[in-house]
Amino acid sequence: MRLRVRRTSGGTAPPPRVAYPETEALRERAREALQDDQLRGNLRAAAGSWAKGQAAVRERYPFAEMRAEARRIRTEDIRRLPELLDLLEERVRAAGGTVVRVADGEAACRYVVELARRRGARLLAKSKSMATEEIKLNEALEEAGLRVVETDLGEWILQLRGDHPSHIIAPAVHLNRDQIADLFRRHSGEEIPNDREALIAYARRRLREDFAAADIGVSGVNLAVAETGTLCVMENEGNVRLVTALPPVHVALLGMERVVADWEEAALFLELLPMAAINDDAATYVSLITGTRAPDEAGDGPTELHLVILDGGRSALRGTPFEEALHCIRCGACLYSCPMWRSVGGQAYGSPYSGPIGAVITPLLEGMRGERSSELPFFSSLCGACHQACPVGIPLHDLLVRARAAVDTPASRRARLAFRAWSILWRWPPTYRASVALARIGLAVMGRRGWVRRLPGPGAAWTDQRDLPSRWPPHP
Amino acid sequence: MPATETDALVARLIGQLERRRASGEGVTAAEAAAAAADRMMAWGAGRAVVPDDPWLVELGVPAALAASGVEVLTWPPTLSPRELLGLDGAPATCGVTVPAAAVAERGTLVLESGPGHGRALDVLGPFHLALLRASRVVDTLAEALAPRFRGRRPPSAVSLVSGPSRTSDIEKISTLGAHGALSEHVLIVVDA
Repeated sequence: MRLRVRRTSGGTAPPPRVAYPETEALRERAREALQDDQLRGNLRAAAGSWAKGQAAVRERYPFAEMRAEARRIRTEDIRRLPELLDLLEERVRAAGGTVVRVADGEAACRYVVELARRRGARLLAKSKSMATEEIKLNEALEEAGLRVVETDLGEWILQLRGDHPSHIIAPAVHLNRDQIADLFRRHSGEEIPNDREALIAYARRRLREDFAAADIGVSGVNLAVAETGTLCVMENEGNVRLVTALPPVHVALLGMERVVADWEEAALFLELLPMAAINDDAATYVSLITGTRAPDEAGDGPTELHLVILDGGRSALRGTPFEEALHCIRCGACLYSCPMWRSVGGQAYGSPYSGPIGAVITPLLEGMRGERSSELPFFSSLCGACHQACPVGIPLHDLLVRARAAVDTPASRRARLAFRAWSILWRWPPTYRASVALARIGLAVMGRRGWVRRLPGPGAAWTDQRDLPSRWPPHP
Repeated sequence: MPATETDALVARLIGQLERRRASGEGVTAAEAAAAAADRMMAWGAGRAVVPDDPWLVELGVPAALAASGVEVLTWPPTLSPRELLGLDGAPATCGVTVPAAAVAERGTLVLESGPGHGRALDVLGPFHLALLRASRVVDTLAEALAPRFRGRRPPSAVSLVSGPSRTSDIEKISTLGAHGALSEHVLIVVDA
């Protein structure tokens, strides 16, 4: 079933509902995560340090003005996206690159696998890219008998563990130093002390082997600048630099919405993204790549550049009430700020994008079809902290509400009916008073030492994680 | 640009480089070669990969490095990628760069790839030494990008470098020396 949403100019009309399967999978994963004390400790430490640094960065820079300007630019650029993509494509081609636009992840993977086969490649070195997680590129390459190595430290740790990222920027944030040291010892058979410097030195040495041997480098793209056909890739480690410099072929995967018109706009996002993501005013390295190695250049630089522009459900969101989801620059600030993410981490979401933006974008990119679609929009307290954290001002809480309105399952129909009944009941004082009196009696009967620990029927979901005072005002 | 304004930008750049855990110093053209050799000795770098840049030769940098016992390789080097990356017992490498510009406000170097200037120069080994003309220092990132690329195709690879390589992937604590240089030093040639 496709999500069919009316195209509106104002972008506020509620979308019609779509039926999709009802599952308990997310609830199960969240319950499991809540019981993992180590995970919760790791997440609390990470989110705490982000919040502290974020407060400092907002004090040091005119964050509010930058945010307003960023929102204006994203709104404008998404409106003129087709035109910007055409210009980008033209400029990349003029600089010697190959551009291919793909409708979905499957087509993107097929293109990369076929390219690797044509070039006789055996090893692909990859830098961190959420878009490649989205399309499951690694699985596709491995299925085709190719070796692919993640070279971002966090992603490499996860690859060795057979794990998935829990955060857009800090993929291994759910693990601590001891867990990583154990993993490296098992991987190497060497005795590696569990201090950070030793762990990083080990990864540096091992991954240099792969940088040297790789036939193809694969990267994502943080931002493409249409006016010159330049791909911006931001990082702190230096692995993107090596992945895009040493192998003879560079494949870059771009989510189609990550385009800006010109360098004035790019300069703002090159500062704003690290401010939101890592509380710093610059990424340590930004690779600005325009086409292939020039004819007079020698020594390094790929002779082939393949820019794969991924739609994957994005273009269908333009002109709908969900268009603002395309403004996202994938900084991960909304994850750290979200009380749900901080409690259960990214894995529980069951999708590469987690946190508030994940809860919005995952169902949308899946056309509200997947089984995650019926659950993710409800995985939020709607507190709005994500909106405050977002450096481009996406009203994530509004988008979550709109996505909820689009959900149509037996449970959601029951819930709507119940709320309608409740609304009728409380419209008149006599029925209001009667229902409150009834509730008081019910709670008093069920209460034990002032608290109701379990409600019957549909109320059970409420008391699953909370207690209810049995009288009002409750005990101090 | 008046000299005092350049001086202020250079001072600001050095402060920001230090904040980003790199370092910088102003030198005259006459002092640059000796300062480069001193820095290489302090690091214990056994090999330097230098851009094929007439300005560096004019400053006497390659000669001074060679005279102090550093193996000097001019770009493009005839080494295997493994050797370039310091595997197979290669000596500790220092990549030398000549930034096209620098951003004082952020401590950022703008490296442009070209015939004599490899794109990976600064991330090959544990050390990165940049020789920067003071006249190329600008205040903001926007000044370093938009005017530079207006109406022309940018070089195939432009790298913005803001301090030594680092990672926060282990317990979110920023630690230096992931895949690129562990140390970065910028010699700002004040009369160039």
